[in-house]
Amino acid sequence: MEKTWVQNSMDPNERQFVLKKFSAYYSNANIQIPSINQREFGFGNIKKIDARHLSFGSAEAFRTYLVTNTPLFVSHSAAYYERPDATPMERKGILGADLIFDLDLHAEGKYGVYAMLGKVKDDAIRLMEDFIVSDFGISKKEIILVFSGNRGYHIHVRDTDYLGLGSEERRELAEYANGIGLNYLNFFDVSGPKRALRIIGPKESDSGYRGRFAKAVIRAINEKTQTFSRKFSNIEERERFTNGIKEGNWSKSSVSDILERLKPIAEQLPIRSIGVDTSVTQDIARLIRVPNSIHGETGLVAKIVPLANIDSFNPLDDALAFGTGANSILAIEFNEDVPQLNFAKSSVGPFKKGEKKELPESISLFFVLKGSAKVIL
Amino acid sequence: MDKGLARLKSALSGKWMKSTAVHESEKLAEVASYAVSRMILSYMRNRYLTNKFAVAEAKLAHSFFEKEGDGALGTISEELGISVKKENQSDRFVTIHGVNGILFVPLPAYLKFSPRSIDYKLVNRSVSNGFVSVNPHERRRLMEEAVRKKAGEIPQLRGGVPDSIKKAAENLKSDLPKIEPQSTVTFKEGDNPPCMEKLLESLKKHENLNHQSRWALAVYLTARGMSVEQIVSLYSNLPDFNEKITKYQVEHIKKRGYSVPSCATLLSYGICCADCRIGSPLNWKGKVWGAV
Repeated sequence: MEKTWVQNSMDPNERQFVLKKFSAYYSNANIQIPSINQREFGFGNIKKIDARHLSFGSAEAFRTYLVTNTPLFVSHSAAYYERPDATPMERKGILGADLIFDLDLHAEGKYGVYAMLGKVKDDAIRLMEDFIVSDFGISKKEIILVFSGNRGYHIHVRDTDYLGLGSEERRELAEYANGIGLNYLNFFDVSGPKRALRIIGPKESDSGYRGRFAKAVIRAINEKTQTFSRKFSNIEERERFTNGIKEGNWSKSSVSDILERLKPIAEQLPIRSIGVDTSVTQDIARLIRVPNSIHGETGLVAKIVPLANIDSFNPLDDALAFGTGANSILAIEFNEDVPQLNFAKSSVGPFKKGEKKELPESISLFFVLKGSAKVIL
Repeated sequence: MDKGLARLKSALSGKWMKSTAVHESEKLAEVASYAVSRMILSYMRNRYLTNKFAVAEAKLAHSFFEKEGDGALGTISEELGISVKKENQSDRFVTIHGVNGILFVPLPAYLKFSPRSIDYKLVNRSVSNGFVSVNPHERRRLMEEAVRKKAGEIPQLRGGVPDSIKKAAENLKSDLPKIEPQSTVTFKEGDNPPCMEKLLESLKKHENLNHQSRWALAVYLTARGMSVEQIVSLYSNLPDFNEKITKYQVEHIKKRGYSVPSCATLLSYGICCADCRIGSPLNWKGKVWGAV
């Protein structure tokens, strides 16, 4: 979680108005935190975290706090502690910690990321399916995928076998997903004379990176027939090679430097386009946004993505905390230009500085919290 | 008591005591000497000595493992927290090497006990459905690491310390190398690898460094023998310098005795900036001498 955000220029009345909306949301929000009494909490109003080392004995006490002392940001520890409110950290008595993966997108401009959140979601799904479930062997029941409320996704893993891992061990998992130190040439055993090389390598059915590489190569050779060599425009050459790969025999191509040519495919294997933020995964004392709480910079819910609707999930449609209909209109005045966005299942904007608009609450409050507009009170 | 002391002395010299026990009573005495060693360590609370002891015990254990049969190894392995399977029950898994004797170690145990080397790095392993495949040799290596970790965890002594323990500790103290850092360490040009040089340069220019860079540099400088005061004074160049916090953190680094991050780690932090191929920043000198 970045700590660079500093509260925008809401005036006291406006701020009170916004927090009242937050409070109403929290009065019946679905917030379930396993072992809540063992978690440390942090709250933020000026920065994302102004105060930490707080704890709650029960879900009701936590809800009451959110409704009455509503903050802009709410985080809880990945870790479970004997004494979550003790300071310094060493006195808390750590019992274990969820394994956290953080995928964040950075893009040009204040609104650049919102059109690209689909990409982060694709990576988050790949991270979950290929790495966390297939390779690490963790059941989906122990995983929640959460929209971060702004520019990415968090994955919380609560498998008891992994709760006791230390910082180094967690980093190793994040680096595995990021492919740090991955060299696909290590998959191969090359022997024999130069003109009749015997190349033994991964099979489609292999586990982890090896199997993914074999599958990706077969797909790529068949789909982009000429990218790797003109020889693959010949269907027989193609089939001979890909059928060989299925058995782990990579020698059945007449392209002499075939392994070198496949490098671009290997580079696509890790979660690299956005990358897992290693520093988050390895930090056991990290506070992470409470799932289903509101992100104070956007007014969007850090929503737990229902795994059944993962493909259709779109934060700007499905992670809204406030009203979207005609009966929840809020008038705002823009103090800067804002580009067009797809929001609440409709096209919104662009808007010009000085423009006054009546928009559904979820949209109005988004622009207010982004610091692009003021509520007309 | 004497055997316990001897066990520590040989650990200090980088060796481990070979077992000569034949009779049951001798074997018992050997087990007892392990316990005595740990009591002495608990009284002394010397990180250096404890680490030396842990490594020696791990090597000793490894020499036993090599002689043990499959059954006994399995039991010991289990006891150390490394339960292995001969076959992965998941139908998604297909053995990739086709070599006999491949074993499957649960991923969390593998992460805890695999040595920090590129060969054991997860990206270079076959990982499937929560298991990592290892060969018998690698399994023994994991077990050795587990012993090292266990032997290095020394509980606090409860109650009064017997005089015999105190005496043994006195005896050992004279054998300890003088590892207290000299009060000042100064570097000449070329003394440090490019990555560390770059961080030091940034400091001199009052540039901000991220947490990992600060940590890596402090661990490195500590290992090179710089005192806490010296490092804190260096860090006073930082734009957001806070003496109290810096001092606390550097002292913490010293107290915990962190090992200097490897080049691979520095690469993953984005600190590595040259292709020196030395494995660890601490090998820099060796590299220069080797080149000459």
